[in-house]
Amino acid sequence: MKWVTWENIGVDRMASAWLIRRWIDPKAEFFFIPSGEKSGPKDGEPFDIPGARYSHHGGHCTFYALLKEHKINDAILSRIAQMVDEADVIQEVSIEPAATGLDLICRGLRQISKDDFEALERGNLIYDAIYAQLKFDTAK
Amino acid sequence: MTTWLLLHYKLPNKPSALRVYIWRKLKRLGAILLHDAVWVLPENPRTTEQVQWLTTEIQEMGGNAYYWRANTILNEQDQAMKQQFSEQVDAIYSDLLKRLEKPRTDLQEFSQQYQEAAAKDFFHSKLGVLVREKLTSKRGEKS
Repeated sequence: MKWVTWENIGVDRMASAWLIRRWIDPKAEFFFIPSGEKSGPKDGEPFDIPGARYSHHGGHCTFYALLKEHKINDAILSRIAQMVDEADVIQEVSIEPAATGLDLICRGLRQISKDDFEALERGNLIYDAIYAQLKFDTAK
Repeated sequence: MTTWLLLHYKLPNKPSALRVYIWRKLKRLGAILLHDAVWVLPENPRTTEQVQWLTTEIQEMGGNAYYWRANTILNEQDQAMKQQFSEQVDAIYSDLLKRLEKPRTDLQEFSQQYQEAAAKDFFHSKLGVLVREKLTSKRGEKS
C-alpha cells in the first residue's frame, strides 16, 4: 500500500512509519509531500496529515490512532504510544521521561539524514531498539 | 523581524470544559492572549506543529479556528511582543531564584518548574541560565 505524509518527519511520523512497516503493512511504500498540501498518489493513504483518519484525534498522536484503528493490542506498543503522545502533543503532566529525549533524537535524525527516506530508515532502528528494551524490561 | 503565529477560534458554548482544555494547552505552550481575542506565539518548528494540531482539535470539537503566520508592520511592536514573552518566563525564573536562596528547598519541584519555563523561553533569557546554574550547584550540596 502507498502511505503519504508531509516531508520533514519527526517523532510521530517516524514512529508511525515504523509501526506501519512492522505491524500493519510490511510492503508499505512511503511518499512525502510538502507541508500543508493534501496531494500525493491517488490511491495513497495519508497519515499524520490534519483531517486524515490516521492523524491526531482527541488529543492523541497519529501512532495512537494507528494502534486504535487497527485494534493492535500490545502492551509495549501502548507504552511507546504514551511516549510519542508526550513528545508530540501538549500534555498537562508527563510520566514518560524518555519522551523529551525521543523528540530530540528524532528531530536530530532528520537533520543529519539526506532525505526523509533515509530518516525513516534510521528511525526504524530507534524504535526497534525501544521496543526490544521495553520488552526485555517487562519480561524480567 | 520575528515571524509570529496567530490563532483565533470559536468553540461551542457547551461543554465549557472544552474551552478550559484548549486554553490550558495554549498556556502550557507559552502562548500569549492579546485583547482576549488572538493567541500569539513565536514561530519555530515545534510551535508551528503544536498549533497546527490544536487547530485540528478545535475543529474536531465543532469549533472554528483560523491559524496565521504573521509579521508586525511596526518594528517597535515586534520588540514589545518579544518583551512580553521574555517577561513571562523571567517572572518564573526570578521567583525560582528567590526560592532557591532558602536553605531547605524542594529541588525536584524546582527543576520541574524550570523545565516548564525553559520550554517557553523562546528568546533565551539570561535569568534562565542563572537558574540552571543554581539548580546544578544545589544538586551537589549536602543538606
